[in-house]
Amino acid sequence: MVTPQAPLNAGPDILGRRRFLSSAVLGTTATVITATTIGSVAPEAVADPKLDVEAGAPDPNFVEGRITGIAGGLLIVTGSDRTINQIHLTKATSVWKLRPTTSDAAKVGDGLYARGVRMPDGTLAADAIWLNIVNLQVHITSIGRSVMHMDHRGDRIVGHVVSGTTAAVYNSTPAVSDLSLLQVGRHAQVIGAWRPDTNEVDLATVYAAA
Amino acid sequence: MIEWLASTQQAVVGGVLVWASAFKLVHRNASAAARRSVLARITGKEHAVGAYRAVGVVEALIGLLLLAPPVLVVEAYAAAALSSCMLGYLAYGKVKAPDAGCGCLGDKEAPITARGFVRAGLLVALSLLAVAGSGWWPTERPLATIGLVVVELAVFAALSPELDHRWLFPLRRWRVRMSHPLAGTEVVVPLESTVQQLVKSTVYQSVVTQLSSDLLDHWDEGEWRLLAYAARTPSGPATAVFAVPRLAYRPDDVKMAMVPAEQEALV
Repeated sequence: MVTPQAPLNAGPDILGRRRFLSSAVLGTTATVITATTIGSVAPEAVADPKLDVEAGAPDPNFVEGRITGIAGGLLIVTGSDRTINQIHLTKATSVWKLRPTTSDAAKVGDGLYARGVRMPDGTLAADAIWLNIVNLQVHITSIGRSVMHMDHRGDRIVGHVVSGTTAAVYNSTPAVSDLSLLQVGRHAQVIGAWRPDTNEVDLATVYAAA
Repeated sequence: MIEWLASTQQAVVGGVLVWASAFKLVHRNASAAARRSVLARITGKEHAVGAYRAVGVVEALIGLLLLAPPVLVVEAYAAAALSSCMLGYLAYGKVKAPDAGCGCLGDKEAPITARGFVRAGLLVALSLLAVAGSGWWPTERPLATIGLVVVELAVFAALSPELDHRWLFPLRRWRVRMSHPLAGTEVVVPLESTVQQLVKSTVYQSVVTQLSSDLLDHWDEGEWRLLAYAARTPSGPATAVFAVPRLAYRPDDVKMAMVPAEQEALV
């Protein structure tokens, strides 16, 4: 039984793919195939990822900026230094926007980090993109129902708690959904998804001492 | 009545000015606050502390004159002028150095907000009201006078972001301790905790160099949570799918299948 974890984008294709992959790893059906269910693959078998970037030079396989246009599977991204990049998304590209999601979540105006492979035509074939991701060191100034107000170097930030998604990590122990140990006045680190052009973020993970 | 109100304001305005000057002149963090304040942008860092102390001296002078008899109208005018300069200073800071604090009443760094303007505006208004006062400390209604002074000083404290840590945060902490607003959230196993467990597993560590993407997709299947990543293997692109125990911490039980992309295309 497949639980629809991401019903927003779980079309019949995705559910079929999940069923197939589930059976590949859990072996629930006999139809699987030559998938290598292995415990170990020698890392030496894979060539080291080439780090041929000179110190101080921009990494050609990384792009940051904001999406200024979307045209047929191609994202047009304007970097903070005004360089314009074109980014290809494929079925093998992971897309993060508060949670793992699909490429149709990318909207004009979103902030973006992308890692991938630079193609000969100058476009970036993305392996992974993160939309609106922020990582903030904050002080918790107040806690309300489903919101947390924070101070980030004098800027006020409103953090929205997203039920079922927001997690807390206390004292580096495994993440839990219980947020009731967060305290006003304490320091916290917050990973979240910025709501573009506001001072609001949806909270993904809050790291705090308890 | 107006006479009584006006005479009381001498004490309030004087009290606030002395409070502000005391911080600037004797607090051990005053020089650090000076260098962080808007004043440092006007005078330059090297003169900031001197200018800050000078402002403190002027505030102390006017404040003490207001508090002490005799009552001279010029004292109230001087306080009004000083508070108006304060308003101008805040406006300058808001425009030119929005990230710097005003350094007015405490060493806690707080950027200039509407509260600062209301506080300075209130000081101007009360100084002008004090102009109408003639008596030093009103002798009729002594209790009402003390009450009014206390209330007005409390309003100044409430308008001071520098003092929030003294009363506002403890109040909020107390309220959260009484009943935590976020205590009722749905109890689920967060995805983050499953990913943390996956990362600890030897299976994951043995193939991590082949994974090209971040988490592609995830779903629950009974006691398992499945996590899919794109991978680049020596034999071509593939999908790495991991099954991680969802309700227990057993990283050794993590299973993995590497499904070549061409097989997936058949689905």
